[in-house]
Amino acid sequence: MKSPFAYQPRPAPLQLAAPGAAVAYLGAIVAVAFLYSSPVVLAAAGAAAAIAGLLAGARRAVRVALKMGLALAFLIVVVNALVVSRGETVLARLGEWPLLGQVDVTFEAIVAGLSGGLRAAVAMVAAAVYSACVDPDRVLRVLRPLAGRSALTATLVSRMVPVAAADAGRLRDAGRLRGPAAAPVGRASLARRLLAGSLDRAVDAAATLELRGYGLDAPRARNRRARSRYDRRFYAVAAVVLAAAIAGKALGADDFQTYPEVEIGFGPTTLALAALVALSGLAPLRRRPKRQAIAHPSADGTKTALSKRKSSRRREGGGRGKVARV
Amino acid sequence: MTARRGTAVATALLLAALAAAGCGLGPGADVGDVRLTVTRDFGAVAVLDRSPAARESDTVMRLLEGEADVETRYGGGFVHAIDGVAEGQRGGDPHDWFFYVDGVESPIGAADYELEGGERVWWDYRDWSATNHVPAVVGSWPAPFAGAEHRPVAVECAEPSPGSSRSPGDRKEPQVCAATRRALEAEGVEVASGESGKAIRVLVGTWGRLRLDPTAGLIEDGPAESGVYADFAGGDLVGLDEDGAPVRSFSPAAGLVAATSRYGGLPVWVVTGETPAAVRGAAEALDAEHLRDHYAVAVVNGKSTPLPLGDR
Repeated sequence: MKSPFAYQPRPAPLQLAAPGAAVAYLGAIVAVAFLYSSPVVLAAAGAAAAIAGLLAGARRAVRVALKMGLALAFLIVVVNALVVSRGETVLARLGEWPLLGQVDVTFEAIVAGLSGGLRAAVAMVAAAVYSACVDPDRVLRVLRPLAGRSALTATLVSRMVPVAAADAGRLRDAGRLRGPAAAPVGRASLARRLLAGSLDRAVDAAATLELRGYGLDAPRARNRRARSRYDRRFYAVAAVVLAAAIAGKALGADDFQTYPEVEIGFGPTTLALAALVALSGLAPLRRRPKRQAIAHPSADGTKTALSKRKSSRRREGGGRGKVARV
Repeated sequence: MTARRGTAVATALLLAALAAAGCGLGPGADVGDVRLTVTRDFGAVAVLDRSPAARESDTVMRLLEGEADVETRYGGGFVHAIDGVAEGQRGGDPHDWFFYVDGVESPIGAADYELEGGERVWWDYRDWSATNHVPAVVGSWPAPFAGAEHRPVAVECAEPSPGSSRSPGDRKEPQVCAATRRALEAEGVEVASGESGKAIRVLVGTWGRLRLDPTAGLIEDGPAESGVYADFAGGDLVGLDEDGAPVRSFSPAAGLVAATSRYGGLPVWVVTGETPAAVRGAAEALDAEHLRDHYAVAVVNGKSTPLPLGDR
């Protein structure tokens, strides 16, 4: 079964956008989470990341990341409550603990942990959305001119690891097919065989790369992909979110204090910023294509529009030639 | 069914163990009032003086945060600022917040110092260019003698008894030592005579005799060793400033009331002067009016001058 965080190509704006635009957009949400401690703003950033993922079709990734993020947040809350005894509102006195000394569980420490946990959860959801919606190959292609060797290494790793996993599955199946009377295949022998196969494959890959001229400078223009019409939207949303976050920080939107007493600000600046950040999650929303859009598809939308058209023609009993004439 | 009963028994035992270990819900019961004083410049400027009720879970830090606007550093264990007055350089000299519980510098942080009720907590913002270690102060009088922690108090008289030719049982206590004892007893302190290893010592006598005591003798090594901003030089009591520099030489009639400690031991108070009259004057200044919120005092003609000296 494929990992929920594995990239799934979908005809959605976030997947179609340039990697830089998608990274800027998701990075802006994460930046808000790291700039702010107010649970109001953090919750808004979390909502934005989750909505963005859902709109991009990464429902499973968002769900799993939310589960993991909330579990991590809970752990942070528990650890903070036990380790930090600061705060005026003592909820429980747990006596002297080895290494920790006197442990007083305070409301303030719980809220501080909650803030830190929310931040971690937001980062995890945003990272999951990135992983599921941004094509890693395109990211590596963007990075290639900047760090060619690293990009090549990352590409090879991202290819070779799944191949090795598939090899392991095949070897295990082969072992089972020898019948129930056969001795079980030990992990060490399986690992040895896998390593030998990986080394053989590495030599093959190196030879192929050499033949294809990978030692030469990276071609600049050949692989350049046409810009998506969604790029500008994501860049704009990222810029607005970042600018608002910085301005809000300067204007006191991060009105949150945990010690010695919890104070959460619900001022208009905080609420306005939270609303803006939450709304930024709608950026991957796809407008329903108009009929003209099918007749004059854009560079990146062409494939999707035509394929939809094709399928509808097929349903109607039409053929390829009819589509070509449109 | 058996497993469920086992879990219930284990839970009950755990809860009983936690309760026995002093655990519980909420901040705990009231343990009594704690006097909280906040000053600046060696007690010269009063900032806050309150007596809030403390509860079982209260620490020095929690008490302070409940009464003043406090900024902390290093995970909340170190006070950076109180009511906006922050640590740092002032006029080229380092300034910081220091606290004393019952007149004794705490060996642990404010966040770890648990209160038991009845303490006198004194926070002072001061110049520590001469020393950052003042082990004991006199400004929380009658603490440490009448503080929350009841320790025996011993008055050690270095003055010769009148009628020393009589047998030891008939000897009368010197007047100055009797005055010191009365001052302590007036605060409800039970005073023992003679030396006692586990007692808070009050040394009474002329400096020529007290300087032989290893702890009192630290005063001659300067504030860095004793935490006392005073010295005896050329037969006079000399007042030092915050930098530890001599500023003023008092008359031979000047007495000194100061507190110090050696190797982190119990505080030792000295009631002294160059002359018996000076010692008497110092002994008569053992009250809150003369000592309150001072690190040490020089007493001349019944009037006390706080030490260290300076343009505070």
